[in-house]
Amino acid sequence: MVCVCYHSNADGLGHDRILFLVPCRTGLAVATFCQKINMASGYILNRGALTLGIHCQRVCRNVSLSQVREKKRWMKTYTFLMAKKLKLEGPPPPTPRSQQPHWDYHAEVQAFGTRLHENFSQELLKTAFINPCYLKAEQQKRQELGVDSETTALVLKDNIQLSEKGASFTQSFINDWSRANFPNVPTDGVESIKRYLTSTSVVTSVARNLGIEDLTMSAECPVPDDVLCSTFMAVIGALQESSGAERAGFFLRDFLITQLIGKDLFELWTVVNPMGLLVEELTKRNIPLPEPRLIRSAGASTVLPLYIVGLYSDKKLLAQGPGETLIAAEEEAAYVALRKLYGYTENRRPFDFSSQQQQQHQQPIIQSISN
Amino acid sequence: MSNFTRSAQQWATFARSWFLIDARLQPPGKIASMCSVRLQGKHKPIYHALSDCGDHVVVINTKHIAFSGNKWEQKVYSSHTGYPGGFKQVTATQLHHKDPKAIVKLAVYGMLPKNLHRRTMMQRLHIFPDDELPDDIRANLTEELPQPRAIPRKLSEYTQEEIDAFPRLWTPLVWFRFFSGLRVLLMKTKTHK
Repeated sequence: MVCVCYHSNADGLGHDRILFLVPCRTGLAVATFCQKINMASGYILNRGALTLGIHCQRVCRNVSLSQVREKKRWMKTYTFLMAKKLKLEGPPPPTPRSQQPHWDYHAEVQAFGTRLHENFSQELLKTAFINPCYLKAEQQKRQELGVDSETTALVLKDNIQLSEKGASFTQSFINDWSRANFPNVPTDGVESIKRYLTSTSVVTSVARNLGIEDLTMSAECPVPDDVLCSTFMAVIGALQESSGAERAGFFLRDFLITQLIGKDLFELWTVVNPMGLLVEELTKRNIPLPEPRLIRSAGASTVLPLYIVGLYSDKKLLAQGPGETLIAAEEEAAYVALRKLYGYTENRRPFDFSSQQQQQHQQPIIQSISN
Repeated sequence: MSNFTRSAQQWATFARSWFLIDARLQPPGKIASMCSVRLQGKHKPIYHALSDCGDHVVVINTKHIAFSGNKWEQKVYSSHTGYPGGFKQVTATQLHHKDPKAIVKLAVYGMLPKNLHRRTMMQRLHIFPDDELPDDIRANLTEELPQPRAIPRKLSEYTQEEIDAFPRLWTPLVWFRFFSGLRVLLMKTKTHK
């Protein structure tokens, strides 16, 4: 058996035509080795294709192959394979920033303080980032490696103390701040505001946005929420120790309490029976009890009705609220009345977040204007 | 007002109001322009041409609309049936006799924007020839809009005291006597001739 292969190196002149006479077994190998060689069956067609272009070859009647330099025909299969692999295995686990290139831990820690315009003591700040879970994992790793425990003992302090200190300071500061800013809100409301501000979701989001996640020394790579939370508290503790309670308070006010902006009181504080609470509050203040009245309605017999209920007390309108049903509207009106009583209305004076230096600077300017 | 919970605020913002307009002795064009603004939602701060934010409008007493001038005779409503020779033209009087709702309806339809929302908006227009409303529509109403034109009082609605107290430049009775006397005089002279 002999296979005839036709080489069409093709300048169209016929000088380079070579006839291979090879045994059939090797014929296949030659064909795969040199892609410009067609099978013998394409011989007659190939002659016509020569005029098309030097790189164009016809495999059969409708299929033509073109071989161009730097056109990577293996790329398609490769990318397809990679996409399939990604789909099967999922994305690779994230690597911590500290294991990626261009990472100088010391410089990053220093930059952290400078970025936030705070004077941290570097030792304290570094301690604040070391979690006990990291220490445990690191020691275990060293034991597994069989390194002598005496020669390579870890001389690091974990952040438990700092974290506890920071957490207690945060609690007390937020408590004082919200008591000062919402004097009319009852204790339950203040508690729920405090609970919201110190909740894991809020604290972790703040910590992530401040870039604490990259600096945190943790056993697991996407840092778990509770670890991140305690690290943030430890940073607060470190700040309190290094620059005093006032600076730490400003830090909390600027980064944590600002999360209250755009939040409604009853988003944070779930009141089951607002009407009952309103009645309680009014009796406390010796105001006659509220009387719900339907003020206006629209489309009452349609599937999308609107009722607006007003609460009158001593023939004065306390509040009005819209709702899909009469009961919902009455509840809404009670909520509005409570907001007005507690001074947590939408049009209240915005929180004063300006720093003390600015406040001091502003006073003489105002005086000079008045003079 | 904006101390509402977000969901309640949303519900109140996008709820459709139901307006009532009394068309008794009102020009249909003015009624129609009021209707078209409400039907499109152009009276709302949240208005956008692509958001379907129009309200419902109920027009009552369309039997008693008032055209000014000689529009009842002169105004012509044309239509074409689509067949050869199918061009129909009727005056406002004839149309009003056939369907007392048609004039207001056509006026509003002409004032709405000519797009795909027009038919939807027309569905929110409820026209009644007299002042009787079905109960389900009466239950929906939010507010009544003021009439665009003050209805003039008829002479029969004035009391005798008001008529007497009305300031006069001349006494019609005297002039009547004068003219009738004059006419009698002329007649006499004619007969004499």
